Amino acid sequence: MTLRILLVEDNELNRDMLSRRLTRANYEVFTAADGATALQLIREQHPDVVLLDMNLPIKDGWTTCREVREDPSIAGTAIIALTAHAMGEDRVKAMEAGCNDYATKPVDFPQLLEAINRLAPKAEQT
Amino acid sequence: MTDQLTSRAWTDRVFKALAELRAQSGNSSDKLQTEQREDLDRLISSGAALEALLSHTDAKDWQHDVRNVLGAMRGYAELLLEDIGDLLPLLKASLERVLKAVASATDGGSQPTRSRATGGTATLTGTILAVDDSADNRDLLARYLTREGHTVLLAESGAQALALLEEHPVDLVLLDLIMPGMNGSEVLTRMKAHNELRALPVIVISGQQDMDGIISCIEAGADDYLFKPFNQTLLQARIRAGLERKRWHDREEQYREQLERNEQFIRATFGRYVSDEIVANLLEAPEGLKLGGDLRECTILMSDIRQFSSICERLPPDDVMKMLNHYLGVMSEIIMGHQGTIDEFIGDAILAIFGAPTSRADDADRAVQCALDMQQAMNDINRDNREAGLPEISMGIGVNTGAVIAGNIGSEKRSKYGVVGHHVNLTARIESQTGGGEVIISASTLEKLKGSYRIGSSKEVKVKGIEEPVLIYQLLPSDAGDQP
Repeated sequence: MTLRILLVEDNELNRDMLSRRLTRANYEVFTAADGATALQLIREQHPDVVLLDMNLPIKDGWTTCREVREDPSIAGTAIIALTAHAMGEDRVKAMEAGCNDYATKPVDFPQLLEAINRLAPKAEQT
Repeated sequence: MTDQLTSRAWTDRVFKALAELRAQSGNSSDKLQTEQREDLDRLISSGAALEALLSHTDAKDWQHDVRNVLGAMRGYAELLLEDIGDLLPLLKASLERVLKAVASATDGGSQPTRSRATGGTATLTGTILAVDDSADNRDLLARYLTREGHTVLLAESGAQALALLEEHPVDLVLLDLIMPGMNGSEVLTRMKAHNELRALPVIVISGQQDMDGIISCIEAGADDYLFKPFNQTLLQARIRAGLERKRWHDREEQYREQLERNEQFIRATFGRYVSDEIVANLLEAPEGLKLGGDLRECTILMSDIRQFSSICERLPPDDVMKMLNHYLGVMSEIIMGHQGTIDEFIGDAILAIFGAPTSRADDADRAVQCALDMQQAMNDINRDNREAGLPEISMGIGVNTGAVIAGNIGSEKRSKYGVVGHHVNLTARIESQTGGGEVIISASTLEKLKGSYRIGSSKEVKVKGIEEPVLIYQLLPSDAGDQP
């Protein structure tokens, strides 16, 4: 069964690149460019894993993540934060907001795949 | 500052690599699948996005945007490399150069240096005062610093920072440059004018690429600086360096205080008993001074005024004190002049040591010469006594050499440097054999003498506690001093 991944990233280049890469790695990928759209897609599509950029327009990643955790219908969604720069604070904030894991940009793709596969079985169980 | 993406050396590398790739793609594009060609196009066109960003470096989130573009480039390049494998070696080499160029831009960022930075930092922690007017920034710093094991104090203004510094011991200050009210450089100026805060390391943090502001802060005494948003590794490294400086400074301070205490102690302990020269020697090499008590060979001198008790009985107490203090004063000068240590005045008797706390090769000679000089000085003392209408006095001196225990004797509350042991008692016995004006030395002292002296009669005396009789010699004044 193909894992379904929601990629939330406002930077077009990055969004495009990651979605192409993930597709090539045999995931089903759909994308959103802001937090509000992401929430809507999570509720409608129930992705197995969400890759969530933190610096998003309309609703930032931290808020989006918190709202996912507060909504019982989608609270179990696996979320990997894509944190900007090397700021440790971003990561801490992301984990505190309820993200299951994080990947620092620029994304190390093999590590990202590992993180996705680590979380995916969990996502399937819920 | 490559880590902050402000250096332009890497941009040249990236553009050069992209230009190469563009040239290479023309040759290879017909061998690529549609998807791969698309990837390649996107990779090349991301160069345009980067170029656009570089002309707007003042944009909000500029660093973030640059990182995103670089991330995309890296992603496409990696993707293509995976796909083409070894089929197109020239394209492969070109893609690898792009990756390398992109990596050079982000060197010093998180991944490449993370493992190195976490190595030694864990052990060096301290109390850090973070001064920032933004609550968010304070919160970030507090979390980050706490996680690194530091104790964190926060201040939202310069005034609050200074107040906190007065109350709490702090190891390092992270100081925001631009704050309402008292700004960072003013806080710095005040800290540097403050005696106890002057040495405290300060890392200035600037929200803008405000080199002038940073320079003026460094001139005002800041130790280091960072631009926001700072990278974790760099902050960690600078904090570590600052804490190390502080630690060295503290150690230096402690060492200096310890030295001062030692000096005070040595002066208090020896100042009254030994010459300034000996005190100076001790201060120069305090490690040579073992106050715990050690066994060492000394030459011991003991003097006593003949029939002093009966003189006392005939004189008013004031006169006794006047005469005694004058006598002891003159004798002390002579003993210290020969670098002897006055262990004790026992009434009119003096116990002096040569060879403690510092031993010298000529301890015995100095002791003997000292004894002769003391006898010589009696002429002056008696002349003074006559003039003051006081009785003349005479003194006997015994000198002996042997191992004694030297050290601080007494209790916690009252102790003094002194010597104890059998040879001290023996010296007292020898001294008791002397008549007025006489110096008697033991055979052990005579053995140690290097100079030439006039030795008079010798005799054996029985000393309590020793079976063998002790051989003692009368020491005569040298010819030069043999005045009437």
